[in-house]
Amino acid sequence: MALTCDRVRELAPGYVLGALEPAEMVAVRGHLDGCANAHQEVRELGGILPYLAIAPEPAEPPRWLRESVMAAAAADLALRRGSPRSLPLARPEPLPESTGPEPDHNVVSLADVRRARRRLPRLAWFTRVAAALAVLALAGYAVVVQADLNRAKEDQQHAQSIYNALGPGDARTISLTDEEGMGAGGLAVLRPNGHLIVSLNHLPSTHGNQIYTVWLTGGNGAQVKVGSFYVDGDGTGFLEVDNMPTSASLWISVNREPGPAVTKPTGPTILSGTISL
Amino acid sequence: MQQVAAGEIGGLETLYDRYHAAAYALALRITSETGMAEDVVQDAFLGLWRNAGRYAELKGSVRGWLLAIVRHRAIDTLRRRKTGMALGDDADAILPAALTIPDPWPEVAGRLEAEQVRRALTVLPPAQREVIELAYFDGLTQREIAARTNAPLGTVKSRMRLGLVALRAALGPSAERAAPGDAAAMRTARLAGGKGTL
Repeated sequence: MALTCDRVRELAPGYVLGALEPAEMVAVRGHLDGCANAHQEVRELGGILPYLAIAPEPAEPPRWLRESVMAAAAADLALRRGSPRSLPLARPEPLPESTGPEPDHNVVSLADVRRARRRLPRLAWFTRVAAALAVLALAGYAVVVQADLNRAKEDQQHAQSIYNALGPGDARTISLTDEEGMGAGGLAVLRPNGHLIVSLNHLPSTHGNQIYTVWLTGGNGAQVKVGSFYVDGDGTGFLEVDNMPTSASLWISVNREPGPAVTKPTGPTILSGTISL
Repeated sequence: MQQVAAGEIGGLETLYDRYHAAAYALALRITSETGMAEDVVQDAFLGLWRNAGRYAELKGSVRGWLLAIVRHRAIDTLRRRKTGMALGDDADAILPAALTIPDPWPEVAGRLEAEQVRRALTVLPPAQREVIELAYFDGLTQREIAARTNAPLGTVKSRMRLGLVALRAALGPSAERAAPGDAAAMRTARLAGGKGTL
């Protein structure tokens, strides 16, 4: 459909608004592409469109849309970088109804991109979530491993302390008795120089202000607070103190107290035993 | 835009933060459906992302370019939904017709507030405003508008021309000293169209 310049001027309003019939749109486009005249009227009327575009009442899209757009772009980028093939150039045809060139199967088609857009964002999100979980899991595992290592070091130190205490052969050692039948156990080692080691295990965890306190009671009834400790899930407790009484007979008890401020045993006795010569 | 053309997501984030509201408002105005509008906005930004390299070949503002893509995509979506056609896989590769028209006033348009544009539209004669809105926001052809409004095709064409001229007069550089919708500008527009009664 060959058009004259006058005819194009007539059609200009409909053309800039995309309101002509498809064949007319193509014809006007063809004329403008080849015409030596500037067709200022098309430029002038077309300049209205940016105004019309901002005329709608303001509206804010949901926040997730931003992430979705960026994920789609990232997927597209990955598709491009992951393939030596180039992306197709946009076709200049003005209308969806117009026919374009046959698809070039040597380039990434928009079908690929659209499929990627539908699929990869989900994959990307899944990957992100999986990666985040993996990082968290690794971090958690590292924490657990570190905690285990620390605990192993502590246990080693405790064992070494006990070994050192027992080494000279002058220490009094007793196995503590489980008073509540809860499976708790422990060992106390007292050296003549007043160096006392108490190592406990299988203790129920403490909650709130609860605390385990170790007491020494001499033959004269005097009570000495050896020390206190909280117990977590591992059920162990360890105390190593100096300057303890070394009288011939000492009664040692481990009580679960309601708080650390107690000055004498008030809570149930969990473990106990007599340290005697 | 250079960042976008270079494949830097940060550039796209900047453009999105700057223009997403305008893009979504336009898409929603055309589609009247939030889900469809969201898809359109995403497709438009993806189209911009993919075709940013071509931006240098075109004249106009980034906003004008993006919004033209939004409008084209939104109308395309509506048309295909009406006809039961699936969305084309290559639909967002097609540049809207408006993108081939140099935008002569990108800076002016950038300074204009949307409210000014809305005011200018409201002072258009209703019949002229209607044909422009049916064409721009509903994507109807002049023939379809004639059928919709029970008006002769020639009348629709005249109203469209007069309305655009009036808007240009109200918003364009020649009318910058006058308020949008200034009576003198509207009178000039009517005289330019040769008919003052449409």
